[in-house]
Amino acid sequence: MSQLFPRLILAAAFTVAGAGSAIAAKDLVIGVESNMPHLDPANTNDTLSQSVERTMYQGLFGFDKEMKLIPALAEKVDVDETATEFVFHLRHGVTFHDGTPFDADAVKVNLERVMNPDNHLSRRSLVSMVAHVDVLDPSTVKVVLSQPFGAFVNNMAHPGTFMISPKALAQYGKDIATHPVGTGPFKFVSFAPDTVKTTKNESYWKPGLPNVDTVTFKAVPESGSRFAMLQTGEAQFIAPLPAELVKPAQAIPSLDVVISPSIVARYLALNTMKKPFDDLRVREALNYAVDKTAFTKIVFNGYATTMDAPIPPNLGFYSRQGAWPYDPAKAKALLSEAGYPDGFSVELWGATSTLAKRAMEFLQQQFAAVGVKVTVVPLEAGVLTAKLWNVQKPEDATMQMDYTGWSSSTGDADWGLRPLLYSKSFPPNLFNIAYYHSATADAAIEAGLASADQSKRAAAYAQAQAIIWKDAPWVFLSVDQLIAGQSKKLSGVYYMPDGGLLAEEATLN
Amino acid sequence: MLTFALRRLGGTVIVLLTVSVFVFGFVRLLPGDPARLVAGPDATSEDVAAVRAEMGLEGSLLQQYVRYLGQTLRGDLGRSARTRQPVISEIGNRFMPTLWLTLAAMGWATLAGLVIGVISGVRRGRWQDQTAMVIAVSGVSFPSFWLGLLLIDLFSVRLGWLPTGGYEGWRSLILPSLTLGATVAAVLARFTRSAYVEVAGEDYVRTARAKGVPERGVIWRHTLRNALIPVITLIGLEFGFLLGGAIVVETVFAWPGLGRLLVDSVSLRDYPVIQAEILLFSTEFVLINLIVDMLYAVVNPEIRLR
Repeated sequence: MSQLFPRLILAAAFTVAGAGSAIAAKDLVIGVESNMPHLDPANTNDTLSQSVERTMYQGLFGFDKEMKLIPALAEKVDVDETATEFVFHLRHGVTFHDGTPFDADAVKVNLERVMNPDNHLSRRSLVSMVAHVDVLDPSTVKVVLSQPFGAFVNNMAHPGTFMISPKALAQYGKDIATHPVGTGPFKFVSFAPDTVKTTKNESYWKPGLPNVDTVTFKAVPESGSRFAMLQTGEAQFIAPLPAELVKPAQAIPSLDVVISPSIVARYLALNTMKKPFDDLRVREALNYAVDKTAFTKIVFNGYATTMDAPIPPNLGFYSRQGAWPYDPAKAKALLSEAGYPDGFSVELWGATSTLAKRAMEFLQQQFAAVGVKVTVVPLEAGVLTAKLWNVQKPEDATMQMDYTGWSSSTGDADWGLRPLLYSKSFPPNLFNIAYYHSATADAAIEAGLASADQSKRAAAYAQAQAIIWKDAPWVFLSVDQLIAGQSKKLSGVYYMPDGGLLAEEATLN
Repeated sequence: MLTFALRRLGGTVIVLLTVSVFVFGFVRLLPGDPARLVAGPDATSEDVAAVRAEMGLEGSLLQQYVRYLGQTLRGDLGRSARTRQPVISEIGNRFMPTLWLTLAAMGWATLAGLVIGVISGVRRGRWQDQTAMVIAVSGVSFPSFWLGLLLIDLFSVRLGWLPTGGYEGWRSLILPSLTLGATVAAVLARFTRSAYVEVAGEDYVRTARAKGVPERGVIWRHTLRNALIPVITLIGLEFGFLLGGAIVVETVFAWPGLGRLLVDSVSLRDYPVIQAEILLFSTEFVLINLIVDMLYAVVNPEIRLR
């Protein structure tokens, strides 16, 4: 016994010393919030999986860290004035991770794969307007659309149209979802829903990149545990970092808190087909009744900005409209004028998350001050989507007010306006749950798609936003700010406005 | 013994069949369109229709059930609507982590619970009893969420001895099993104590002591063995519950278990995964009940004769 004891202590000491894992100098671990169900970009619906795919895959075009459109696998594109013919001039000398050359045939294979209805790929709508794809020569592809679609180049920057190696597609079939083979800065190593490992692509076409040897994504749903990972050095970048952890993170000298703008807008959708929201004065009154600055302070701890247009500033063709100032007296006056001097009762729907409930309770208090009595009804995600999006006829919609948000994943004003405010987008087609219909707004939204000319599109969307802002089908609230935490040794990892992560330029010191 | 087991196995099949019908119907009663949820907010209605076709949600309820039953009996549990991977591999990948966590948590919790419970029982009314029961009540009252984060803060962040979470090596098992076992140990301690105290008041125990059996023999051979029956039932139940996954501990420690899989699948109405998991849990419970019944017979010879 006397000999055993010191030996046990020694063994314990060695074990404990070995417990602090020695991470090689250039391995990046990114802690994220949820699992990554699979890695087929044409079937992916969540920003996180798209971020992971972005390390291994690229499309003809891409986004920089501010969601500006940049060329990627295509060097440039020629568009005709009818916005129906797109000729992409491809980059030379690019190969997939398995050695297959990237060329016009690969583009054709990939686009046709997503277009094919028998593949049941959920991102098919990105290319459903394509009539045919023609290979003009090994580095030139012509895509012909069946109808004008000015935002088509943005669709080619969406992860849904990332280019997969045709050889890998043939080899893996459906299992390509767990064996990604692309042209990106990192190559696939292993997949588990909570851990995806990638390694440096030695023959990446951008010189000097990447700077790290491996990138691993680890899913850690509990934000306290994710923060602990950053503190122990198990991860060098975590996203998102909840607002309550910003101060503790800033207090730690080896860590940095990164705050960046997003394209996530939060607003209150009003059912403009039902009384009392069919009256413009009521909608205006509700906009005047909310103190937006207080909203961002109380609901988002100050990490949000006030909406000043129907779409967020980082979205293409954003046009600043102004403000709906906080004026409860004016709100009450408008309500009286509209025939509701004593206000009215209404149900407010929303999600069951803490943030959503906080927002709804805040709005309830603000509206109570002008006589509008709100009953807050948090609904589970499946129930909420059924009640909002599965309604077949507008008359059957039971929604009165819904606290919700939207992020246009194409980075373009079209997807920020058309699915939500176009009269042909009533559920179940798309998501115009406010049932807003304005002939002038419709015309402007259509004009925005009818041409690929940047100035024509800008003018059209400016007009659409002005009309919508005045019509106030929503109570315009806030735009999220994104918060991430990183080790001071890390640079070059960016939290993009759509919530995605860009790790191409990651550098560890 | 053999006929007993065979009869029980027959009953098991009936139970599982009934469960499959209930789960199948119940899951489809949940409001919400699974195809819409899986397709995500960016999907147009044509995208959703594509997903619906992929998920095999066509045909009447009866047709769907017959298809489902046929596939299940052939061992084909379908593909997850969310990940498109075979359900068997989704569940298979998480089964071992859940099993390890359950074994580790139940292992130390049973030992601690029994020992503390017996000590309390033997020294009932004295300071050992009071202290032990205070610890037990605390164990039950601490939210596992809070306890987990506390342990991470102490052992991972401040001391750097253990990883913050994940499933890599035996070291990552320590904190989650401590957290998970805490409530179980506490419950077992209180339960063992009451079972022990009840048996200790029986005549045959007094007789044994009067006969001159040494105190240790009175405690272990006479009192505890009889007190064990309800305790074994409890252990079996706890084991069964834990095999179903421990959602809170799995979330705090990013442990890839069956609990989180079920919750995520329910949120997305991923029918094939929900059905398969519930069928799995029912099978586990039925088997555990069988084992527990056999253990009764081992512990108490009277039961063997029935």
